[in-house]
Amino acid sequence: MREITYVEALREALRQSMEKDPNVILIGEDIGVYGGSFGVTVGLIDLFGKERVRDTPDSEAALIGACVGAAMSGLRPVGEIMFSDFVVDAMDQITMQAAKTRYMFGAQVTIPTVIRLPGGSGTGAAAQHSECLENWFVHMPGLKVVVPSNPYDAKGLLMASIQDNNPIMFFEHKLLYRTKGDVPEEAYTIPLGKSRMVREGKHITVVAISIMVSKALEAAEILAKEGIEIEIIDPRTLKPLDDAPIFESVVKTGKVLIVHEAVKNSGFGAEIAARIADSPAFFYLDAPIKRLGGMDIPIPYNRYLERKAVPQVEDIVDEVRKLARNEF
Amino acid sequence: MSTPIIMPKFGFNQETSEILEWLKKEGDSIDKGDPVAVVSTEKVSMEVEAPESGLLAGLQYKVGETVNIASVIAYIVKPGEKLEGLAPAPGKPKSEVKENQRANVEENIPSITPVASKLAQELGVDIGTVTGSGPGGRVTREDIEKAASNKSKNSSTGKIPATPAAKRVANESGISLNNVSASGPAGVVLSADVLKTEKVTSSTTKIAKPGGIVPFSGMRKAIALNMQRSYQEIPHITLTYEVDMQAASQLREKVLKNTGKKISFTALIVKAVAWALGRNPMVNSRLETDQIVLLPSINIGIAVALEVGLIVPVLHDANLKNISEINVEVEELTTRSTNNRLRQSDLQGSTFTISNLGMYGADKFTSIINPPEVAILAVGRIRKQFVADEMGQPILRPMASLTLSADHRVLDGVVAARFMTDLRDCLEQPGLMAI
Amino acid sequence: MSSEKAVKKQTKLDKVMTRDEALNWLKIMLLGRAFEENAEELYNLGKTHGTMHLSIGQEAVAVGIRSALKSTDYFFNTHRGHTHFLAWGGELNGLMAEFMGKATGVCHGRGGSMHIADIKKNIIGSNGILGSSTALSLGYGINVQLKKTEQLVLVIFGDGGANEGVVHESMNLAAIWKLPIIFFCENNSFAMSMRFKDAVAIKAISERACAYGMPGITVDGNDVLAVNKAVKDAADYVRAGKGPYLVEAITYRVKGHSRSDRQNYRTREEVKEWISKEKDPIYRFAKLLNLTDEDVEKFGKEAKLEIKKALEFAENSPEPSIENIEEGTYA
Repeated sequence: MREITYVEALREALRQSMEKDPNVILIGEDIGVYGGSFGVTVGLIDLFGKERVRDTPDSEAALIGACVGAAMSGLRPVGEIMFSDFVVDAMDQITMQAAKTRYMFGAQVTIPTVIRLPGGSGTGAAAQHSECLENWFVHMPGLKVVVPSNPYDAKGLLMASIQDNNPIMFFEHKLLYRTKGDVPEEAYTIPLGKSRMVREGKHITVVAISIMVSKALEAAEILAKEGIEIEIIDPRTLKPLDDAPIFESVVKTGKVLIVHEAVKNSGFGAEIAARIADSPAFFYLDAPIKRLGGMDIPIPYNRYLERKAVPQVEDIVDEVRKLARNEF
Repeated sequence: MSTPIIMPKFGFNQETSEILEWLKKEGDSIDKGDPVAVVSTEKVSMEVEAPESGLLAGLQYKVGETVNIASVIAYIVKPGEKLEGLAPAPGKPKSEVKENQRANVEENIPSITPVASKLAQELGVDIGTVTGSGPGGRVTREDIEKAASNKSKNSSTGKIPATPAAKRVANESGISLNNVSASGPAGVVLSADVLKTEKVTSSTTKIAKPGGIVPFSGMRKAIALNMQRSYQEIPHITLTYEVDMQAASQLREKVLKNTGKKISFTALIVKAVAWALGRNPMVNSRLETDQIVLLPSINIGIAVALEVGLIVPVLHDANLKNISEINVEVEELTTRSTNNRLRQSDLQGSTFTISNLGMYGADKFTSIINPPEVAILAVGRIRKQFVADEMGQPILRPMASLTLSADHRVLDGVVAARFMTDLRDCLEQPGLMAI
Repeated sequence: MSSEKAVKKQTKLDKVMTRDEALNWLKIMLLGRAFEENAEELYNLGKTHGTMHLSIGQEAVAVGIRSALKSTDYFFNTHRGHTHFLAWGGELNGLMAEFMGKATGVCHGRGGSMHIADIKKNIIGSNGILGSSTALSLGYGINVQLKKTEQLVLVIFGDGGANEGVVHESMNLAAIWKLPIIFFCENNSFAMSMRFKDAVAIKAISERACAYGMPGITVDGNDVLAVNKAVKDAADYVRAGKGPYLVEAITYRVKGHSRSDRQNYRTREEVKEWISKEKDPIYRFAKLLNLTDEDVEKFGKEAKLEIKKALEFAENSPEPSIENIEEGTYA
């Protein structure tokens, strides 16, 4: 199988979806000739023309509103928000319109639109260009939230999202764009709402979101040398969440660490923790449920501060070691 | 005239300060207002300023020492001026100066901060049991607070901090958390601790050492002889049934929810066995020379492991008691057994025995019949196993292996099987007991 | 009036619609008004839940728009749009039942007054967030453009909503892509309590059209024919693929913004002036049809009866079921 990057995987998903279905259109800033600020849509305007690959001015509200309206009218638009932080300019269109319209109109319409958002820190882009906001949208009924952690998942989940009939917030991580992985050439989908067992291990369960999956894998190598085997689960979809495998894993290991880059305070890890505590797995816990997440600060500009602000491999290793040694 | 530098009070309730750092040394030239030392209160570090210009002299304390507020910590002298009798002469050890001059200050580096000492008294904490986290092992206020909260956790409410897994294992095994030594942080009992406890109570491991002698006499010998006779004289057949304990677990949860009472698995099994015996009177019988007597009462012997050996206290008329009563009685019998307070009636009249090695980790085992009974039930561990459901799909269920040893002179395979089937049905559908 | 003038007026109307059509529109205006008055009454009697935004005095806009367009066109309604809903062919029973939150409502009781939609009839909802629908209309515009049909999209916003940022983004985007959208500003002179003249530094919203590169026009919103003509002109322009068009209709909101409006920002006299027969859009239109006041009252009574029947229907309808409360959240 050939190896391609996360960006190439996304691009292939878009291309193959647009080839299959003429109703799939792209709307975003600089996605045409420029190819998108992260290069995801390079070449697509040449293949599909400017009626289907629409560059917009700096108008997040209008462009996302256009996606929502187009979806209501029968198209399948994929919108791009250049940096996930800019989603705030489109919050009405996403939360008050896309999320709620189907319900408010008594199910008279469906809104099959995917909004792609590159997020995450580590590029020195500072506080207004480095957010991880997936949890905001989990909290809004009517939306689905997807967080692919690798190229294979990125392609499959994006194709599945485009085919789904709901408004979907698709959070990509900037630092994952250049990562490579085996990706089949043919079109394929990965079901939404299904988590993945990334690595089996008998000692400690680690639930990792997005970029934390690769960090957890690195941590796993280090820990394995010390005889600590972690089991890594990647939810892939935050809403709807496939929590059963998490519960089963906790029953097996009795110890769990949840790690995401988004701010720890009230982050999605809190939801997973609460669910574990409310499940049969509770009675198999041999340690408090642990979470690692971003610090409660805006992302700093200085690169060392930026690095410190979010969980790194060594933080995962430390936390797992403490759990293994019953230091809690 | 030399000017003393006083340890200032920075906070309203502050009583002491610790010297963190001397910014100047003896003989240094100081201007008025220059910071000469950094001191700390409980939380914050502050600078002590020179009240006059001159030379710093006569440092009274070392870094790390705690000083009472308003004590003299050093002096400012004018150039050329000597600290009459105050400053240590060159070469004179500091300790002498201390002895002479520091009447109002503690002599030793305190092993406990004054605040902590006061608090320990208020909260009734035994300082001797507290390990200090301060410099040099000094006991701080935090240490006392921690110790106090640990203490209250254990004694005042009777609650022992334990992980959910530890509680579950303890519950399933009928072990009280009081008997478990905790290895988790802050005295939390971990499941590993509970599992260790089970092993410790096994009879010989405590006293047996390689190269040692274990007496074979008294109770041990009596039990052994009985065991031998049973094994030699009674043709044993064994039947093992895998029982899904899910319903039983749920019943326990329901009872807990409705009554707040925790029913032990042993109690449930006793009740189920009693019911099954009621429907299969042959299994509750006694072989005499020319007849098999179907016994009128159902008295269940519950094997209890003691250090000295196996003892089987008896729960009389198990079929006439409800689950709560049985539960209470099982607990009482176990307690009386371990405390060596069993009554005569406790040890007589059993018609059927249950032995539970599941608590000790056994998956499956065979027991030897306890004559004059005709059968004995060996209860294994409840463990999660994959079984096939009606659609042939694997599902995870809590399974336990129950093995019946039956006296084949009295009980045919079919009779034994019927009993075990009833028992299994009852455990898997507890509602049957109502019929 | 002189017979000459009467004939003149008749001809003006005949150019646009037949007498039957005109009568139909008048009846719809009266039906809308009766609906609003009934809504107010229900509120006073404590029979309704939530709030409502009445469009009494703005009926000419509702029928003026629809009479100039086709049922295949897409229509984005406002929160103050009960009459517009009826004008566009929405069912009265469904409207009343939705207003009352019943299962037989056009949105099955899920939306209420502010979110009334009938997608099959191309009424793409009212919207509770002012100005938002201008962005949504872009999507429909794109669809029409891709499918190359003759349809257009008409989206209404008020003089208040016109100042929301998203309206500017949307008009700009529609203009650069030449989307087939009529941006219709129903200027009823008040946002909530803020008068139009205090909310903008210009004289009319249509002045903004040139800022986006589209034509703009302001007309008398209480004159059915004026509205009709403006929308027709706009529709011709838009359907020819020339891009979007901004139409502004000046009217007057007779009732408060919503039920909890104390209306301390205007005088009773001012309001009275606007509901005088000279200014009232219903009476003005009736005059074009050469109807007398008595005729209008007669039709008005008929309208009230229809409302009464619809109310009975709604009151006898069941509440939506709790069992399927989650249905419709996800597809």
